[in-house]
Amino acid sequence: MTAIGNHSRPVSAFLGAAPERFREWIMSRQVHLIVFCATAIVIGAGSYGLAVGIWRGPWQALYTGIKLPLAILLTTLGNGLLNGMLAPLLGLNVTFRQSLAVVLMSFAVAAMVLGALSPVALFIVWNTPPLTAGTTSSSPEYGLLQLALAGFVALAGVIGNVRLMPLLRLWTGSAAVARNVLLAWLAGNLFLGSQICWVLRPFIWDARRPVEFIGPDPFQGSFFETIFNAGSRLVFS
Amino acid sequence: MNDQNPLPPVSAQLPPPIPPVLPAGQPRRLGDDPSERLAIPNVVVAIEAILRQPRRVMFQLRQPGAGHLIAMMLSLSVVCSLIYGVVVGTFSGGVQLWAAPVKIASGLMISALICLPSLYIFTCLSGSRARLVEIFGLLAGLLMLMTILLIGFAPVAWIFSQSTESLPWMGTLHLAFWFIATIFGLRFLEAGFSNSEARSRAGLNTWVVIFLLVAVQMTTALRPILGTADTILPTGKKFFLAHWGACLSAENNAPASRSRN
Amino acid sequence: MPDPAEGFFMSITRLNVCEIGVLLRGEREAMAAWMEQWNAERLRLHFLLVIGGAGFYGAAMGWWRAPEQALFTAIKFPLVISLTVTGNALINGMLAPLLGLNLSFRQSFSAVLMSFAVASAILGAFSPLMAFMVWNAPPLSPETLQGATYPLIKLANVAVIAFAGTTGNVRLFQLLVKLGGSRAVARRVLWVWLAVNLFLGSQLSWILRPFIGAPNLPVEFFRAAALRGNFYENIFQSWQQIFNN
Repeated sequence: MTAIGNHSRPVSAFLGAAPERFREWIMSRQVHLIVFCATAIVIGAGSYGLAVGIWRGPWQALYTGIKLPLAILLTTLGNGLLNGMLAPLLGLNVTFRQSLAVVLMSFAVAAMVLGALSPVALFIVWNTPPLTAGTTSSSPEYGLLQLALAGFVALAGVIGNVRLMPLLRLWTGSAAVARNVLLAWLAGNLFLGSQICWVLRPFIWDARRPVEFIGPDPFQGSFFETIFNAGSRLVFS
Repeated sequence: MNDQNPLPPVSAQLPPPIPPVLPAGQPRRLGDDPSERLAIPNVVVAIEAILRQPRRVMFQLRQPGAGHLIAMMLSLSVVCSLIYGVVVGTFSGGVQLWAAPVKIASGLMISALICLPSLYIFTCLSGSRARLVEIFGLLAGLLMLMTILLIGFAPVAWIFSQSTESLPWMGTLHLAFWFIATIFGLRFLEAGFSNSEARSRAGLNTWVVIFLLVAVQMTTALRPILGTADTILPTGKKFFLAHWGACLSAENNAPASRSRN
Repeated sequence: MPDPAEGFFMSITRLNVCEIGVLLRGEREAMAAWMEQWNAERLRLHFLLVIGGAGFYGAAMGWWRAPEQALFTAIKFPLVISLTVTGNALINGMLAPLLGLNLSFRQSFSAVLMSFAVASAILGAFSPLMAFMVWNAPPLSPETLQGATYPLIKLANVAVIAFAGTTGNVRLFQLLVKLGGSRAVARRVLWVWLAVNLFLGSQLSWILRPFIGAPNLPVEFFRAAALRGNFYENIFQSWQQIFNN
């Protein structure tokens, strides 16, 4: 049985592995897989964070390089119990540790994609006019930067979930059950993850503040409250 | 480069194959699968069983000595609801750190007790042959599954509790989590019900509506659970819709209406 | 000399409580077999169901007015049912064979009592829910009468009693079909028994009023004018008032 770490090219082995191989790793090399995935998240998402934050300055690059993998890991751990309970209730008979490994695996794929895109992100950042008095949050350049960086995150997330689906289908034997489990995990992770990102903001910059690890009042308000209030203002004013 | 080695033979460490799904029209009886006949000796096994092998729990509720299993499930429900109550109480802090868990745990148990006689009646009217002990056990299973799922939501609830001062928002969030957890609990109850030779589900569906209304009203009867007030229990009577309306109006008129102690 | 009280309690402990499930499930074969022979213990069980079930529900109803009203209604509600069953026993026993269903007096009495026992069991099961609803409602007062609470509680009571009554009658109909073999005969007998029981029951309820009470009237077991006038006379006078105005 081949462990990931024994490969000469572990990243390509991980990304190219068939669903049967993933299941084998989850059943027999769980701890190795979890460590490998966590490492991949730290390195991949970390390097993307560095590329995103460098636009503001070197310290922001460091902070975002730490916060982006932290957001992913905190989301996975925070929802670990819930994901582990929802899976068997929806028809996927896995243990808590196995569900944690599966979720980490999909985040690791996404993080590897982000890591691969970090040079591209860096290039976009390098081409964007620096943060000066002339650049504001309403500048088209800043808008393009935001779109591109968010787009890369969305792409990586989609790829991570697409890689998860065949594994769930193999495990459950049913496309419907696999889809329900994936959607439930996705909803839970998006819900908690968006709030964790809200707490850990800013990732790119905050025009009103100097560079700092976390903004003031991180626990003031919530992501969804802000969306709801913005929507209310849009509709009712 | 992808790994060129062929896939290894199925290892002994791989999980046993999932039993094939029986064709429609061939219902399995409880206890047909030998794994369902294994006893449930402790709380950890009970949690695993209700998540992964609910039919095992249903089968054990029909055996002599089901009282021990029911007591275990009820105790776990109380403990889990106390833990979730502490998370709820962190929104306001202070007195709510102990009052909220006590109210949530006791409110849940009292709601179940209020609805148990009507559950037995509706199951009998539907033709079910389940005894009162078995019905009580299914209700205990519903409570246990609901509360352990609430524990799963606890980290999410906590982080939002610390992030907002909006009472209606947090109330809605807790209600949403409770509702999702209750849906899974009711699925367990309905599965148990369908294994008891019931001819119709109309009675059970009616009881579900009654149970939801009672539980929701109990949160108003024991208010405040999230916010703060001068007294532990309310001095006036209100139905839950009136109470929610009043909370929303208060929020619109004075957004910073909650105080953190 | 054997103690009658001890004998009564001994007989209660011998009651087969599982028979309540048989009643609620409407197991016609079992219920028809019961009708074949007189069983005093089974009769006691059914009366106990009526007293207990309707009694608890009556207590929940009356509690909204006052604790004393709860006690009074807990006594009066089962009393109305018991008096209706026994008061109409003769006429029900005579009408059944006249309408084509060959039942003895004892069998028709048992059948009607069983249907009321089913209804009372349902009322008893709903009594905690009604008590919870009353507990959550503002106290009964002239202001409450004007608001939405009073009609809501009234509607809830009507809904529960209607559900219990309907279920009891459905079980009775199923039993009559089993005993007579004909749905048409069973339906005739059921409608006639229903009409007769409603006729006597409504007047008994009129005499034994109030069951909830009014905030501007004292809490009492009987109204002073209990035996003055009757339910249908009151309805007729109300119609007259409507048309004269």
